Amino acid sequence: MQNNNDYVTHNCDHFDGHRYSHLNNRKYEDEADICIVGTGAAGGVLAYELSKAGFKVVAIEAGPFWNPQTDFASDELVAQSLAWQDTRLSTGENPLTFGHNNSGRGVGGGTVHFTGVFLRFHESDFKTKTLDGVGEDWPITYQDLEPYYNKIERDIAVSGPKHFPWGNFHGPYPYPERVPISANAQVFREGCEKLGIPSVVAPLAIISAPFDGRPPCINRGFCNQGCMPNSKFSTLVHHIPKAIDNGAEVLSDCMVTRINVDKQGKASGVTFVHDNKEYRQNAKLVILAAFAVETPRLLLHSACPQFPDGLANSSGLVGKYMMPHTGHDMYAKFDQEVRLYKGTPVLATSQEFYETDKSRGFARGYTLHAHGSRPVEMAQGLAKSAGIWGKDLYEIMRDYNYYGRITQVGEVLPDINNNLSLGQEIDEYGMPKPVVSFSYGENDRKLIDHGVKKANEILQAAGGKPAFTVPDTAHLLGGARMGKDPTQFVVNEFCRSHDISNLYICDASVFVTSGGGNPTETIMAIAARTAEHIVEQANTQQY
Amino acid sequence: MQDIRTRYPGYDILKEQKEWDPHTREIVLKRLGPFPKPKFLQENEVQMLKIIANHLVFDNRSQIMDWIIHHIDQSLTSNIGEGQRAPKAPPAKDLIRWGLQAIDKVATIKYKAVFLGLDEKQQFGILAALQNGKAEDVPEWAKVPQKELFKKLAAEIVSAYYSHPTVWSEIGYGGPAYPRGYVRVERWLTDPWEAKRDAKQ
Ligand SMILES: Cc1cc2nc3c(=O)[nH]c(=O)nc-3n(C[C@H](O)[C@H](O)[C@H](O)COP(=O)(O)OP(=O)(O)OC[C@H]3O[C@@H](n4cnc5c(N)ncnc54)[C@H](O)[C@@H]3O)c2cc1C
Ligand code: SF4
Repeated sequence: MQNNNDYVTHNCDHFDGHRYSHLNNRKYEDEADICIVGTGAAGGVLAYELSKAGFKVVAIEAGPFWNPQTDFASDELVAQSLAWQDTRLSTGENPLTFGHNNSGRGVGGGTVHFTGVFLRFHESDFKTKTLDGVGEDWPITYQDLEPYYNKIERDIAVSGPKHFPWGNFHGPYPYPERVPISANAQVFREGCEKLGIPSVVAPLAIISAPFDGRPPCINRGFCNQGCMPNSKFSTLVHHIPKAIDNGAEVLSDCMVTRINVDKQGKASGVTFVHDNKEYRQNAKLVILAAFAVETPRLLLHSACPQFPDGLANSSGLVGKYMMPHTGHDMYAKFDQEVRLYKGTPVLATSQEFYETDKSRGFARGYTLHAHGSRPVEMAQGLAKSAGIWGKDLYEIMRDYNYYGRITQVGEVLPDINNNLSLGQEIDEYGMPKPVVSFSYGENDRKLIDHGVKKANEILQAAGGKPAFTVPDTAHLLGGARMGKDPTQFVVNEFCRSHDISNLYICDASVFVTSGGGNPTETIMAIAARTAEHIVEQANTQQY
Repeated sequence: MQDIRTRYPGYDILKEQKEWDPHTREIVLKRLGPFPKPKFLQENEVQMLKIIANHLVFDNRSQIMDWIIHHIDQSLTSNIGEGQRAPKAPPAKDLIRWGLQAIDKVATIKYKAVFLGLDEKQQFGILAALQNGKAEDVPEWAKVPQKELFKKLAAEIVSAYYSHPTVWSEIGYGGPAYPRGYVRVERWLTDPWEAKRDAKQ
């Protein structure tokens, strides 16, 4: 059974001005209308929208309810605790790095330590099969999501350029773009300009002026360690407190271990563990928003006599078609100090290589970001992934301040062999540890080569000397993809599972393709759309 | 040697500590020691890890090595997961314990002495072989994938080393930045307190 390993002790039950360190006064102990598993990017939006619509909402979160002022620190090592650190078994030709690199744990989920780059998908992302003969088409189009992109950007006051040159949306963003930009971002833009590559100040879920009681960014640069002034959006500081105001109950430090199903084959609620003790939360509707690893893991682990292969898995595709983004980091050395530690990590970006260009010899594309770095991340990447250590590492790091960096966020095509399964090892909750297997395909490798080359050209044009490439990945998507055909997809276009009508899956796992940019705005837009759909359905239908 | 170690001889990040939030300050100052006796690591393991750390980060200052050991010991004592692991590798505790034993075995077979008894070049050679999964074949490697061992050692040692305030000062890193933040982030600009190359000691 589970021990409470959190280094901070927090209240675990939160509603309407009430905070308890025990579960004896639960607001919706008997039954809730809606139980949401996970309070990250998607879970936060769902809890907020559904509680606003008047539902009795309980959101259950495995990790703590963070207090940014006392729990966060300006330190890379300690900020590892914001991550989902439970061991995930990682295999394949290109095993993924989980932990801090991959996902969050605690109220806010991944948004607590994400970089805040906030991009929409392009129209082409939703129909790669039709357009390029690769991947798969989504059951929705850009136009279906557009109103929700608009809404999310307004709701959290995304800052960005007046004109965004790529995709369908060309700005302006609700809040003005960030000024000034960091030296690394200037270097990037200068290199781009010399080569005739358009670039912009990155659209960010970070405010450039006061908003909703939060102050603008102070360029501290520790976005991946959790924002202490609350300038960066997270569902921890935005959606969840508002959901609580709307009447929702949040149970934190509560790990959901099973989705329960009644005799009729409907979801009846969940089982969760808090401080070694098992509890239940009954609900009329269950929504899984536990991220692309824990969501498929829970579905598979909740197998029962009615659903021996796991819930929502009649297609056999739960846990299949998992996609990270390519995340290679290209470093170059400059004659003058760039100081990668200063300012918001990503302040400039280009999507010039986003769309398919047949002449390049591969399908789809990528985004390039000017991307700051701190010493631990840089040195660890060099030692672990680039094989540079000892005197070489020391000499590079002595000149840490002279390096600039560009990171590629590139599309990885869906492949059924990149998958999640339940392993032999059992964790402290009695659940099998997830095994995630990942290998790049040929198209992915060509896309990486192209991006590495382009990034180095930009760095060189800006006066840098390309120095080394650290292979990396970012994000994770898929494992419960959406689509119309129940034999080929796990959920429908509104994230309702094909097999169980009152079980929704709404988070990074429903992605059909990865797109060539950071995914969270799309995750949140999908969540807002799903919430609206649930509200509409509730008026006409019993769950 | 100071001028070789750093381009910023006049910069001491600890002078800025009053500008840091209390939580961060407490965390960083603890890295200066003194440290409790290791809970998981045994004396021989401590000595071996210090030598391995010397090679990996090209430094042997005992204060910093003590912090690295403390950090490794803490992460091996804790029940918190390790993020990810190759299915063929054992959990970190075993990986490191068995891995150090295997390294000693390799040293004994190759040079008829334990790892700590080898000269620097020989030690370096074993670590370099480990990185490529090419160390002398001993049965111990069946349980301990060499590359995974190297990656784990590299990750733990390097991340602790570059979290030490002395090293931050040397590389001219700005360090903790809350609540102050940065005013001058653009190219060639620095806030008055940041590391400057030409600053006098
Ligand atoms: C270092 C880093 C930088 C990033 N930068 C960007 C960026 O700049 N732009 C961008 O668009 N994206 C970025 N991302 C990605 C972004 O964080 C994710 O895409 C997003 O958070 C995923 O949303 P989600 O709702 O699917 O899951 P999450 O936000 O991960 O939320 C899932 C939540 O569910 C909880 N949970 C899981 N299992 C259980 C369980 N069994 N019981 C109870 N609770 C559970 C988790 O603790 C977590 O809080 C970054 C990610 C990382 C790690
Ligand atoms: S750079 Fe800005 S948004 Fe990021 S952590 Fe610092 S203050 Fe917050």
